[in-house]
Amino acid sequence: MSDDSKKSQSGAQSGAQSEAQSEAHKPEPSYLTAQRGLMSWVVTIDHKRIGLMYLTATLFFFLIAGLLAITLRTELFTGQQDFMSAATYNKVFTLHGAIMVFLFIIPSVPAAMGNFVLPLMLGAKDVAFPKLNLLSFYIYCIAAVMLILTLVLGSLDTGWTFYTPYSKTTGTAVIMATMGAFVAGFSSILTGINFVVTTHKMRAPGMTWNRMPLMVWALYATALIQVMATPVLAITLFLLVIERTLSIGIFDPAMGGDPVLYQHFFWFYSHPAVYIMILPGFGIISELITVHSRKHIFGYRAIAMSSVAIAVISFVVWGHHMFVSGQSELAGIVFSFLTFVVAVPTAIKVFSWVATLYGGSIRYTTPMWYALVFLWTFTIGGLTGVYLGTLSIDVHLHDTYFVVAHFHYVMVGGTVVAFLGGLFHWWPKMFGRMYNETLGRISALLVFIGFNTTFMTQFFLGHQGMPRRYYAYLPEYEAMHQVSTIGSWILAVGLFLVLFTLIHAIKYGERASSNPWNAVSLEWHTASPPIEHNFHTTPTVTGSPYDFPEIDKTGKH
Amino acid sequence: MSTKASEHEDRPWFLAHHFDTVGQQVSSAKLGMWLFACTEVLMFSGLFLAYFIIRQLYPEMVLTASEELNKTAGGFNTIVLLTSSFTMALGVRAAQTNNNKALQRNLLITIGCAIAFMIVKYFEYTAKIEHGLLPGEYYSALEHGYMLPKYSRVFYGVYFTMTGLHGVHVLVGIGVLSWIYIRARRREFSSENYVAVENVGIYWHIVDLVWIFLFPLLYLVK
Amino acid sequence: MAHSDSTQNSTVYLNGKLVENPHEDTHHVSPVWEFSLVFGALLFLTILTYLVSYAGLGPASLPVAMLIAFIKGSLVVGFFMHLKYEDRFYAFLLCVTILFVSIFFTFVLFDMSTTAELNEEAGIEYKRHVEDSAEAAEAAAARQAAEAAGAAPAPAAAGHH
Repeated sequence: MSDDSKKSQSGAQSGAQSEAQSEAHKPEPSYLTAQRGLMSWVVTIDHKRIGLMYLTATLFFFLIAGLLAITLRTELFTGQQDFMSAATYNKVFTLHGAIMVFLFIIPSVPAAMGNFVLPLMLGAKDVAFPKLNLLSFYIYCIAAVMLILTLVLGSLDTGWTFYTPYSKTTGTAVIMATMGAFVAGFSSILTGINFVVTTHKMRAPGMTWNRMPLMVWALYATALIQVMATPVLAITLFLLVIERTLSIGIFDPAMGGDPVLYQHFFWFYSHPAVYIMILPGFGIISELITVHSRKHIFGYRAIAMSSVAIAVISFVVWGHHMFVSGQSELAGIVFSFLTFVVAVPTAIKVFSWVATLYGGSIRYTTPMWYALVFLWTFTIGGLTGVYLGTLSIDVHLHDTYFVVAHFHYVMVGGTVVAFLGGLFHWWPKMFGRMYNETLGRISALLVFIGFNTTFMTQFFLGHQGMPRRYYAYLPEYEAMHQVSTIGSWILAVGLFLVLFTLIHAIKYGERASSNPWNAVSLEWHTASPPIEHNFHTTPTVTGSPYDFPEIDKTGKH
Repeated sequence: MSTKASEHEDRPWFLAHHFDTVGQQVSSAKLGMWLFACTEVLMFSGLFLAYFIIRQLYPEMVLTASEELNKTAGGFNTIVLLTSSFTMALGVRAAQTNNNKALQRNLLITIGCAIAFMIVKYFEYTAKIEHGLLPGEYYSALEHGYMLPKYSRVFYGVYFTMTGLHGVHVLVGIGVLSWIYIRARRREFSSENYVAVENVGIYWHIVDLVWIFLFPLLYLVK
Repeated sequence: MAHSDSTQNSTVYLNGKLVENPHEDTHHVSPVWEFSLVFGALLFLTILTYLVSYAGLGPASLPVAMLIAFIKGSLVVGFFMHLKYEDRFYAFLLCVTILFVSIFFTFVLFDMSTTAELNEEAGIEYKRHVEDSAEAAEAAAARQAAEAAGAAPAPAAAGHH
């Protein structure tokens, strides 16, 4: 890496200069203004526009599912029934989970942000299959409509996992919901195929695998999981629909089948899916930390390879979701051990990020604040994952708030925080406007305080035995539930402040230069916002994406 | 980028705007298709696993119930699909060697085989439905005089799901093959530009591949 | 948009060797006889599948049938799908797929086969097998009784083909 770095400075700078020169010759309209009218968006095959459409859609569903979450927390403010019946509570948490997972977290970073930055980072004009990309967006929309239709069709109260045999006997909306998730899976597969091919075939000249930004590595690993795991979800949900309509009996004990088989099928997809959710977050954090501490990333190869390692290991740990569900004890022990293995590549990443910060010239910008929040919350989320992966402890903690707190620490404290940091980081690139730094930092602080207040208490609640998915609880849990609910309100305020800051930036923010962070990776070498075809001339890469021109290199490894 | 249009004059008509060379476009399309092929394999693997589980749970039942499947029809369909795979491969070769006539001929044979497969499947299904050898709730073999174990309904559930999903793939195959045939008639393909034919070929071979495993498992279990 | 020259002048090294046109595949045209030979082999193996099925190999018949199917599949993938002449990466992808499928199969089948004890405790094993065969025997007896009474249903029990 060291000899790369010498070359890169000249290469990267000359690229930027030639870009600046050609800009001076003929200002070209940005992708936002190159074509106008609604139709130019509806039928666009430009990855940046599709990315923005995805972003709008995912943020919309984030809002909906977030409001559902606030409703749930508010109901839990007291131990008695307040304004929701038990049945309503079941429906609301099911919808909260299903929308968050299938319509927000899975597509948020790969499809929304990945679509925007991946070709830019690779120096490509577009993704490999632009039409497929648009198709995948519309398939996602169909899935969204189907999942929303379950609201009209009646009760969906299975939780987002649709466990049999309950999902076979409860309300009819299950069919629509599973079909919705099935369709969302197709959208996910198409995006995955697109990204793998783009990463393989569309890299700019000189962009070797070891010169790819870590965000690209993370998106690549994610795409591989999407391609390899989602088909199994498709067939699982397909079988569930068949089970409900024809009752073929594979998953139904009354007909001679085995409900544990459903859980195997479901988690073979859904555990890797957890990494579909978090891996792109890792990628964002790798970018944020190195760019905003002006220092070459520590352990580039280790971080890149750990992404791939996580992708592979994620396929052999699914049984840790089933420790108490009739899985054999021996399988439980094997899965428990394999689960510990995931901690290794994950820890490699966290240590590398911390080592990157060490000796860097850290700028406390909003993205950096979010990255620091991530380090805190994700580490807690990851470590409690090891607790839950331990067979004996999981038997005690299974189906309690401890589990709820754990996966929220990973999904919200990890993915969502990384996603927000990434939004602030790339917002100037997306819209050519700077956001208000003060408001951004306040939002990060509110998210941090609100999030930890909400979910830290749930670890204690869970440890004391508060089971998940209950709308009412014993009085001794009330104090901590109230703290948690107040935390959720603070978190909501923080998130609304994010929304306000970002929208305010589009309208009133000052114009961003093409490279406001002085970053090196290729997306910062084109105009902000980029032109329709990304680059005037195909950029040539000569070095690592993290060799910062004016960095303090004393801390280099 | 209209100002740079002059630079594009040497670009062939089928080269999309975001690719630099034809080779890049072709290899992207193929890699995408292979990834898709992998997803197909993984998707069917779930059904195969369901089959093996059922077989593990009820070894006797699977043997007895599968005796009722029509081995002749299954064998005939195997031959039909293998033939169609063969002609598909020849079709791709014809496209590679600029032999448009042979391409069209081979595509027609392939489509014909696919339709023949579905016709045989139709008769098989009708026979099963008439005899009440149906999945799950609709299973009524006993009323039709078949002394099969009760859980045969699960076997027929698996049978209909596997062959049904495979049949859907055959139908989709007929669709894409016809589309390629129409494009071949318009003489869109040449030795430079045949990746669409090749990709449809890969899809069709996957359909064949699934059947190669389905056939012995469902029809010839012993 | 310097598409041709500047793009291809860039050097990409793989394992220390220069790779020309890293984004491209090679074109390979297989001779007709190769396809015909493969087709012949596939037909032969299909017949072999039949023979194996009727040979009565007992518990070995499933692995043997699977082995034959695997050879057939490899022929289709290798020659008809051209994998033998393609970029190695496609073969790698397929291997990874097969690896994941085998992980999936191994763990689930392993778990399902080790739950027998649990199932016995819960009486599931009994329900599955004893009740199942009892019901089948009952049904058969009922049918025989009906036949004896002269009201035999039309189709023969042996099947329809």
